[in-house]
Amino acid sequence: MIWFIMILTGVINFAFRISMFSGFRKIYVPASLHRYVAFVPASVLSAIIASSLATFDGQEITYEFEKLAAASVAFACALLTKSVAATLIVGLVTIWIL
Amino acid sequence: MNRTEFFLGVTAMLPLLLGVIPFGLVFGVLGVASGLTETQTIFMSSIIFAGASQVVFAQLWAAGSAYLIIGSSVALINLRHVLYSVAVSEHLKKLSFKWRVILAYLLTDEAFAVSIQRFNTHGGSRPVHFFMLGAGSALWIAWQISTVVGVIAGSTIPENWELAFAIPLTFIAVIVPLLKNFPTIICALTSSLIAICGQSLPWNSWILVAAFGGILLGAVIEKWNCRR
Repeated sequence: MIWFIMILTGVINFAFRISMFSGFRKIYVPASLHRYVAFVPASVLSAIIASSLATFDGQEITYEFEKLAAASVAFACALLTKSVAATLIVGLVTIWIL
Repeated sequence: MNRTEFFLGVTAMLPLLLGVIPFGLVFGVLGVASGLTETQTIFMSSIIFAGASQVVFAQLWAAGSAYLIIGSSVALINLRHVLYSVAVSEHLKKLSFKWRVILAYLLTDEAFAVSIQRFNTHGGSRPVHFFMLGAGSALWIAWQISTVVGVIAGSTIPENWELAFAIPLTFIAVIVPLLKNFPTIICALTSSLIAICGQSLPWNSWILVAAFGGILLGAVIEKWNCRR
């Protein structure tokens, strides 16, 4: 089953990539779609980041201090360096130290 | 084969690989840690060939999410490729179908970023599709190799190294440069809040609810800002 899902998502992804220059037909993209799609990376990725840092079940918040601290340090590092490698290393080192 | 353009493309891609290679390593390590086999992890890098969405795929798979949630989350993350496709289409419309298929397959964030610059400056005068082929191939090779290295290294890395935490860290590095205007910051905060509160939603649908919530609010605020 996993192979099926993987290949299907691969095909969908390829379809997105070739969609506008397949040569088969011209597809019109409404300007409003651009506005929405521009927010996709920030939205999806922050959801994943947040869910790995804390969860709230209606009564109490569960979180690990070490992870919150490491994420904050990594955030500052990303702001300063804009480097994936540096952010990754600084964040992991922080969590190992704590 | 226009070697000059091809190697210009490869060279333009090299600095970006500094960000791609650690990401590939992390995916390789975590793919296996998420319960995918080594073969599945390695092949995912060529079948889907889109970093963030592969990581999300592996995470949602490990969490036992519904197939529809996995598929639609991956599709949502990759929807931006349609926009890249629009942007490059003008420069690729004279190419044969074979070329279009190859270049579409290689169309990633990084390949788009370096190629569109070249297209805009030299599109009329040079065979710039070789540039995109060079940039895209360099990225493809780096992504495949770093995945394989990650898969091999993954089995030797002790669990208390907290490597699963590398995913949010990598994503922090990816989103920080995006948070440069008010609507995007609100979008990220909204989506984070929904993700934190929505963990008990069925089939792990929190990821889609959070994503749509953030996108919607971000777009609404942007529209509102434009009107004022």
